[in-house]
Amino acid sequence: MEQKDLLFKQIFETNSKKIFHLCYGYTGDKDSANDLLQETFLKVWQNLDKFRNKSLLSTWIYRIAVNTCLTYLRSEKRQGKEELTDNIIENETETYSEKNEQVALLYKSISKLEENDRLIITMVLDELPYNEIAEISGISEGNLRVKIHRIKQKLTELYNQHARI
Amino acid sequence: MQEFDDIQSLWNNHTVEVKISSGEMLAQAKKEVNSMRSKSLLNILGMCLSFLAIACLWLFFDFQSWTTHAGITIVIISIAVYTFILYKGHLLISRNDFTANPNDFLNQLKLYQISRYNLYNRLYWIYSIALSLGIGLLFYEILSYFSFWKQLLAIVLTFGWLIFCSTIFRRIVIKKEKERIALLIEKFERISTQFKENEHHF
Repeated sequence: MEQKDLLFKQIFETNSKKIFHLCYGYTGDKDSANDLLQETFLKVWQNLDKFRNKSLLSTWIYRIAVNTCLTYLRSEKRQGKEELTDNIIENETETYSEKNEQVALLYKSISKLEENDRLIITMVLDELPYNEIAEISGISEGNLRVKIHRIKQKLTELYNQHARI
Repeated sequence: MQEFDDIQSLWNNHTVEVKISSGEMLAQAKKEVNSMRSKSLLNILGMCLSFLAIACLWLFFDFQSWTTHAGITIVIISIAVYTFILYKGHLLISRNDFTANPNDFLNQLKLYQISRYNLYNRLYWIYSIALSLGIGLLFYEILSYFSFWKQLLAIVLTFGWLIFCSTIFRRIVIKKEKERIALLIEKFERISTQFKENEHHF
Protein backbone atom coordinates (compact mmCIF):
# COMPACT_ATOMS: atom_id res chain seq x y z
CA MET A 1 0.00 0.00 0.00
CA GLU A 2 2.81 2.38 0.87
CA GLN A 3 4.46 1.60 -2.44
CA LYS A 4 1.20 2.42 -4.23
CA ASP A 5 1.01 5.71 -2.30
CA LEU A 6 4.52 6.65 -3.34
CA LEU A 7 3.94 5.69 -6.95
CA PHE A 8 0.68 7.61 -7.04
CA LYS A 9 2.35 10.67 -5.51
CA GLN A 10 4.99 10.55 -8.20
CA ILE A 11 2.42 10.10 -10.98
CA PHE A 12 0.33 12.96 -9.61
CA GLU A 13 3.30 15.31 -9.41
CA THR A 14 4.39 14.50 -12.96
CA ASN A 15 0.99 14.66 -14.65
CA SER A 16 -1.40 16.78 -12.62
CA LYS A 17 -0.40 20.09 -14.14
CA LYS A 18 -0.99 18.97 -17.71
CA ILE A 19 -4.24 17.26 -16.81
CA PHE A 20 -5.43 20.35 -14.97
CA HIS A 21 -4.60 22.42 -18.03
CA LEU A 22 -6.62 20.02 -20.19
CA CYS A 23 -9.59 20.21 -17.82
CA TYR A 24 -9.29 23.97 -17.52
CA GLY A 25 -9.17 24.32 -21.29
CA TYR A 26 -12.23 22.12 -21.56
CA THR A 27 -14.39 23.81 -18.91
CA GLY A 28 -12.85 27.26 -18.70
CA ASP A 29 -13.52 27.19 -14.99
CA LYS A 30 -11.08 26.48 -12.16
CA ASP A 31 -13.56 24.81 -9.82
CA SER A 32 -14.88 22.44 -12.47
CA ALA A 33 -11.31 21.77 -13.60
CA ASN A 34 -10.41 20.86 -10.03
CA ASP A 35 -13.39 18.49 -9.82
CA LEU A 36 -12.33 16.87 -13.07
CA LEU A 37 -8.72 16.61 -11.92
CA GLN A 38 -9.89 14.90 -8.76
CA GLU A 39 -12.13 12.46 -10.63
CA THR A 40 -9.37 11.66 -13.11
CA PHE A 41 -6.81 10.89 -10.45
CA LEU A 42 -9.30 8.93 -8.35
CA LYS A 43 -9.72 6.68 -11.39
CA VAL A 44 -5.96 6.50 -11.78
CA TRP A 45 -5.58 5.58 -8.10
CA GLN A 46 -8.21 2.86 -8.29
CA ASN A 47 -7.02 1.36 -11.54
CA LEU A 48 -3.30 1.71 -11.26
CA ASP A 49 -2.91 -2.07 -11.07
CA LYS A 50 -4.79 -2.40 -14.40
CA PHE A 51 -2.21 -0.36 -16.27
CA ARG A 52 -0.32 -2.81 -18.45
CA ASN A 53 2.45 -0.65 -19.96
CA LYS A 54 0.93 -1.10 -23.44
CA SER A 55 1.02 2.66 -23.85
CA LEU A 56 2.75 5.49 -22.09
CA LEU A 57 1.45 6.12 -18.61
CA SER A 58 0.81 9.76 -19.53
CA THR A 59 -1.27 8.61 -22.55
CA TRP A 60 -3.29 6.34 -20.30
CA ILE A 61 -3.93 9.20 -17.87
CA TYR A 62 -4.84 11.61 -20.68
CA ARG A 63 -7.29 9.04 -22.01
CA ILE A 64 -8.92 8.79 -18.59
CA ALA A 65 -9.02 12.58 -18.32
CA VAL A 66 -10.59 13.01 -21.75
CA ASN A 67 -13.31 10.48 -20.93
CA THR A 68 -13.84 12.09 -17.54
CA CYS A 69 -14.28 15.52 -19.13
CA LEU A 70 -16.80 14.25 -21.67
CA THR A 71 -18.81 12.21 -19.16
CA TYR A 72 -18.75 15.02 -16.61
CA LEU A 73 -20.15 17.60 -18.95
CA ARG A 74 -22.85 15.22 -20.20
CA SER A 75 -23.93 14.41 -16.67
CA GLU A 76 -24.00 18.13 -15.81
CA LYS A 77 -26.28 18.65 -18.78
CA ARG A 78 -28.43 15.69 -17.81
CA GLN A 79 -28.94 17.21 -14.41
CA GLY A 80 -30.29 20.31 -16.12
CA LYS A 81 -27.48 22.48 -14.93
CA GLU A 82 -26.41 25.45 -16.97
CA GLU A 83 -23.95 24.93 -19.75
CA LEU A 84 -20.63 24.90 -17.97
CA THR A 85 -18.30 26.65 -20.29
CA ASP A 86 -20.32 29.38 -21.92
CA ASN A 87 -21.85 30.89 -18.83
CA ILE A 88 -18.91 30.41 -16.57
CA ILE A 89 -16.57 32.01 -19.03
CA GLU A 90 -18.99 34.90 -19.58
CA ASN A 91 -19.14 35.41 -15.83
CA GLU A 92 -15.45 35.12 -15.30
CA THR A 93 -14.39 37.40 -18.12
CA GLU A 94 -14.34 40.33 -15.72
CA THR A 95 -11.95 38.57 -13.37
CA TYR A 96 -9.78 37.49 -16.24
CA SER A 97 -9.64 40.91 -17.83
CA GLU A 98 -7.66 42.34 -14.98
CA LYS A 99 -5.05 39.58 -15.22
CA ASN A 100 -4.93 38.68 -18.82
CA GLU A 101 -7.57 39.60 -21.30
CA GLN A 102 -5.99 37.57 -24.05
CA VAL A 103 -6.06 34.35 -22.01
CA ALA A 104 -9.71 34.99 -21.21
CA LEU A 105 -10.41 35.39 -24.89
CA LEU A 106 -8.58 32.19 -25.67
CA TYR A 107 -10.63 30.19 -23.16
CA LYS A 108 -13.79 31.79 -24.47
CA SER A 109 -12.83 30.81 -28.01
CA ILE A 110 -12.01 27.24 -26.97
CA SER A 111 -15.40 27.01 -25.26
CA LYS A 112 -17.11 27.73 -28.58
CA LEU A 113 -15.62 24.63 -30.18
CA GLU A 114 -17.26 21.20 -30.24
CA GLU A 115 -16.66 19.06 -27.11
CA ASN A 116 -14.20 16.66 -28.76
CA ASP A 117 -12.47 19.46 -30.64
CA ARG A 118 -11.95 21.31 -27.38
CA LEU A 119 -10.06 18.36 -25.94
CA ILE A 120 -8.02 17.77 -29.06
CA ILE A 121 -6.94 21.40 -29.34
CA THR A 122 -6.02 21.50 -25.65
CA MET A 123 -3.74 18.52 -26.20
CA VAL A 124 -2.31 20.18 -29.31
CA LEU A 125 -1.68 23.37 -27.37
CA ASP A 126 -0.03 21.28 -24.67
CA GLU A 127 2.25 20.00 -27.46
CA LEU A 128 1.42 16.33 -27.13
CA PRO A 129 2.81 14.29 -30.05
CA TYR A 130 0.19 13.58 -32.72
CA ASN A 131 0.51 9.81 -32.36
CA GLU A 132 -0.31 10.15 -28.66
CA ILE A 133 -3.32 12.38 -29.33
CA ALA A 134 -4.47 9.85 -31.95
CA GLU A 135 -4.20 7.03 -29.41
CA ILE A 136 -6.02 8.98 -26.72
CA SER A 137 -8.81 10.10 -29.01
CA GLY A 138 -9.13 6.84 -30.93
CA ILE A 139 -8.78 8.58 -34.29
CA SER A 140 -6.31 7.50 -36.96
CA GLU A 141 -3.29 9.77 -37.25
CA GLY A 142 -4.18 10.73 -40.82
CA ASN A 143 -7.70 11.79 -39.88
CA LEU A 144 -6.41 13.52 -36.82
CA ARG A 145 -4.03 15.73 -38.81
CA VAL A 146 -6.91 16.90 -40.99
CA LYS A 147 -9.09 17.43 -37.95
CA ILE A 148 -6.39 19.38 -36.12
CA HIS A 149 -5.83 21.61 -39.12
CA ARG A 150 -9.54 22.38 -39.22
CA ILE A 151 -9.75 22.99 -35.46
CA LYS A 152 -6.71 25.29 -35.54
CA GLN A 153 -8.34 27.36 -38.27
CA LYS A 154 -11.64 27.49 -36.43
CA LEU A 155 -10.00 28.48 -33.15
CA THR A 156 -7.93 31.22 -34.77
CA GLU A 157 -11.05 32.51 -36.47
CA LEU A 158 -13.03 32.48 -33.22
CA TYR A 159 -10.20 34.14 -31.34
CA ASN A 160 -9.91 36.94 -33.88
CA GLN A 161 -13.67 37.38 -33.95
CA HIS A 162 -13.79 37.76 -30.16
CA ALA A 163 -10.76 40.04 -30.19
CA ARG A 164 -12.55 42.42 -32.55
CA ILE A 165 -15.63 42.71 -30.30
CA MET B 1 -5.01 39.68 -36.55
CA GLN B 2 -3.54 36.71 -34.71
CA GLU B 3 -2.21 33.48 -36.18
CA PHE B 4 -2.36 30.07 -34.53
CA ASP B 5 1.31 30.40 -33.51
CA ASP B 6 0.40 33.48 -31.47
CA ILE B 7 -2.35 31.49 -29.77
CA GLN B 8 0.14 28.71 -29.11
CA SER B 9 2.63 31.06 -27.50
CA LEU B 10 -0.16 32.67 -25.46
CA TRP B 11 -1.11 29.21 -24.19
CA ASN B 12 2.51 28.36 -23.41
CA ASN B 13 3.02 31.57 -21.46
CA HIS B 14 -0.13 31.06 -19.47
CA THR B 15 0.71 28.85 -16.55
CA VAL B 16 -1.72 27.06 -14.31
CA GLU B 17 -1.02 25.99 -10.79
CA VAL B 18 -2.26 22.82 -9.16
CA LYS B 19 -2.51 23.84 -5.55
CA ILE B 20 -3.40 20.43 -4.24
CA SER B 21 -1.16 17.46 -3.41
CA SER B 22 -1.98 13.82 -4.16
CA GLY B 23 -2.67 13.13 -0.48
CA GLU B 24 -4.91 16.18 -0.14
CA MET B 25 -6.79 15.14 -3.24
CA LEU B 26 -7.58 11.68 -1.87
CA ALA B 27 -8.48 13.23 1.49
CA GLN B 28 -10.82 15.68 -0.26
CA ALA B 29 -12.63 12.78 -1.94
CA LYS B 30 -13.13 11.16 1.45
CA LYS B 31 -14.26 14.43 3.02
CA GLU B 32 -17.67 14.46 1.34
CA VAL B 33 -18.38 10.97 2.62
CA ASN B 34 -16.98 11.82 6.05
CA SER B 35 -19.35 14.74 6.42
CA MET B 36 -22.26 12.38 5.74
CA ARG B 37 -20.87 9.95 8.33
CA SER B 38 -20.49 12.71 10.93
CA LYS B 39 -24.07 13.86 10.41
CA SER B 40 -25.34 10.33 10.78
CA LEU B 41 -23.27 9.90 13.94
CA LEU B 42 -24.56 13.17 15.41
CA ASN B 43 -28.09 11.99 14.69
CA ILE B 44 -27.44 8.79 16.64
CA LEU B 45 -25.80 10.72 19.46
CA GLY B 46 -28.82 13.01 19.72
CA MET B 47 -31.14 10.01 19.92
CA CYS B 48 -28.98 8.42 22.64
CA LEU B 49 -29.14 11.64 24.67
CA SER B 50 -32.94 11.70 24.33
CA PHE B 51 -33.03 8.09 25.48
CA LEU B 52 -30.93 8.94 28.53
CA ALA B 53 -33.01 12.01 29.36
CA ILE B 54 -36.26 10.02 29.34
CA ALA B 55 -34.63 7.20 31.30
CA CYS B 56 -33.49 9.73 33.96
CA LEU B 57 -37.02 11.11 34.14
CA TRP B 58 -38.24 7.60 34.85
CA LEU B 59 -35.54 6.89 37.44
CA PHE B 60 -35.61 10.12 39.40
CA PHE B 61 -39.31 10.90 39.55
CA ASP B 62 -41.86 8.92 41.47
CA PHE B 63 -44.75 8.66 39.07
CA GLN B 64 -48.04 7.42 40.47
CA SER B 65 -50.17 6.63 37.46
CA TRP B 66 -49.77 3.53 35.29
CA THR B 67 -50.36 5.71 32.23
CA THR B 68 -47.09 7.56 32.90
CA HIS B 69 -45.13 4.30 33.11
CA ALA B 70 -46.83 3.00 29.97
CA GLY B 71 -46.14 6.32 28.20
CA ILE B 72 -42.44 6.36 29.14
CA THR B 73 -42.10 2.70 28.10
CA ILE B 74 -43.55 3.45 24.66
CA VAL B 75 -41.37 6.55 24.19
CA ILE B 76 -38.21 4.77 25.35
CA ILE B 77 -38.83 1.71 23.15
CA SER B 78 -39.59 3.94 20.15
CA ILE B 79 -36.38 5.92 20.62
CA ALA B 80 -34.33 2.73 21.16
CA VAL B 81 -35.71 1.02 18.04
CA TYR B 82 -35.29 4.13 15.89
CA THR B 83 -31.74 4.63 17.18
CA PHE B 84 -30.91 1.00 16.39
CA ILE B 85 -32.22 1.45 12.84
CA LEU B 86 -30.17 4.63 12.51
CA TYR B 87 -27.11 2.76 13.74
CA LYS B 88 -27.65 -0.06 11.24
CA GLY B 89 -27.84 2.53 8.49
CA HIS B 90 -24.69 4.19 9.77
CA LEU B 91 -22.80 0.89 9.60
CA LEU B 92 -23.49 0.77 5.87
CA ILE B 93 -21.39 3.86 5.22
CA SER B 94 -18.92 3.66 8.06
CA ARG B 95 -17.03 0.51 7.11
CA ASN B 96 -16.03 1.13 3.52
CA ASP B 97 -13.53 3.49 2.01
CA PHE B 98 -14.25 4.60 -1.52
CA THR B 99 -10.61 5.03 -2.43
CA ALA B 100 -9.86 1.44 -1.35
CA ASN B 101 -12.98 -0.55 -2.38
CA PRO B 102 -14.98 1.52 -4.85
CA ASN B 103 -17.50 -1.13 -5.85
CA ASP B 104 -18.27 -2.27 -2.31
CA PHE B 105 -18.58 1.32 -1.26
CA LEU B 106 -20.96 2.16 -4.07
CA ASN B 107 -23.19 -0.83 -3.29
CA GLN B 108 -23.30 0.09 0.39
CA LEU B 109 -24.09 3.71 -0.48
CA LYS B 110 -27.07 2.55 -2.56
CA LEU B 111 -28.29 0.41 0.34
CA TYR B 112 -27.85 3.42 2.62
CA GLN B 113 -29.98 5.49 0.24
CA ILE B 114 -32.79 2.91 0.47
CA SER B 115 -32.45 2.63 4.24
CA ARG B 116 -32.70 6.43 4.62
CA TYR B 117 -35.73 6.51 2.34
CA ASN B 118 -37.50 3.93 4.52
CA LEU B 119 -36.42 5.75 7.65
CA TYR B 120 -37.93 9.06 6.61
CA ASN B 121 -41.13 7.56 5.25
CA ARG B 122 -42.88 4.47 6.63
CA LEU B 123 -40.67 4.12 9.71
CA TYR B 124 -40.89 7.80 10.55
CA TRP B 125 -44.69 7.68 10.69
CA ILE B 126 -44.67 4.61 12.93
CA TYR B 127 -42.13 6.38 15.14
CA SER B 128 -44.16 9.61 15.26
CA ILE B 129 -47.41 7.82 16.09
CA ALA B 130 -45.72 5.77 18.83
CA LEU B 131 -44.06 8.90 20.22
CA SER B 132 -47.33 10.86 20.20
CA LEU B 133 -49.13 8.01 21.95
CA GLY B 134 -46.36 7.72 24.55
CA ILE B 135 -46.25 11.46 25.21
CA GLY B 136 -50.05 11.54 25.41
CA LEU B 137 -50.05 8.91 28.14
CA LEU B 138 -47.11 10.61 29.87
CA PHE B 139 -48.91 13.97 29.91
CA TYR B 140 -52.03 12.46 31.50
CA GLU B 141 -50.41 12.48 34.94
CA ILE B 142 -47.71 15.12 34.55
CA LEU B 143 -49.99 17.86 33.26
CA SER B 144 -52.46 17.34 36.10
CA TYR B 145 -49.96 19.15 38.37
CA PHE B 146 -50.05 22.29 36.22
CA SER B 147 -52.54 25.10 35.71
CA PHE B 148 -54.80 25.11 32.63
CA TRP B 149 -52.71 27.62 30.66
CA LYS B 150 -49.49 25.74 31.34
CA GLN B 151 -51.19 22.51 30.29
CA LEU B 152 -52.31 24.15 27.08
CA LEU B 153 -48.88 25.59 26.41
CA ALA B 154 -47.17 22.20 26.95
CA ILE B 155 -49.63 20.43 24.63
CA VAL B 156 -49.40 23.07 21.90
CA LEU B 157 -45.59 23.24 22.01
CA THR B 158 -45.02 19.47 22.15
CA PHE B 159 -47.49 18.41 19.49
CA GLY B 160 -46.76 21.52 17.41
CA TRP B 161 -43.10 20.50 17.39
CA LEU B 162 -44.02 16.91 16.46
CA ILE B 163 -46.22 18.10 13.59
CA PHE B 164 -43.52 20.54 12.40
CA CYS B 165 -40.90 17.76 12.42
CA SER B 166 -43.21 15.32 10.61
CA THR B 167 -44.15 17.75 7.88
CA ILE B 168 -42.05 20.79 6.92
CA PHE B 169 -38.79 19.78 8.61
CA ARG B 170 -38.99 16.17 7.40
CA ARG B 171 -39.57 17.30 3.83
CA ILE B 172 -36.57 19.65 3.93
CA VAL B 173 -34.32 16.95 5.41
CA ILE B 174 -35.50 14.34 2.89
CA LYS B 175 -34.87 16.72 -0.03
CA LYS B 176 -31.40 17.72 1.13
CA GLU B 177 -30.30 14.22 1.97
CA LYS B 178 -31.74 12.75 -1.21
CA GLU B 179 -29.79 15.25 -3.28
CA ARG B 180 -26.58 14.72 -1.33
CA ILE B 181 -26.63 10.92 -1.56
CA ALA B 182 -27.75 10.94 -5.19
CA LEU B 183 -24.92 13.30 -6.11
CA LEU B 184 -22.36 11.10 -4.35
CA ILE B 185 -23.70 7.96 -6.03
CA GLU B 186 -23.71 9.71 -9.39
CA LYS B 187 -20.15 10.90 -8.91
CA PHE B 188 -18.79 7.55 -7.74
CA GLU B 189 -20.68 5.70 -10.48
CA ARG B 190 -19.17 8.04 -13.03
CA ILE B 191 -15.73 7.32 -11.64
CA SER B 192 -16.26 3.55 -11.71
CA THR B 193 -18.06 3.29 -15.05
CA GLN B 194 -15.17 4.08 -17.37
CA PHE B 195 -13.22 1.00 -16.40
CA LYS B 196 -16.26 -1.25 -16.27
CA GLU B 197 -17.11 -0.33 -19.85
CA ASN B 198 -13.50 -0.84 -20.89
CA GLU B 199 -14.03 1.89 -23.43
CA HIS B 200 -11.53 4.66 -23.54
CA HIS B 201 -12.14 6.37 -26.85
CA PHE B 202 -14.12 9.49 -27.70
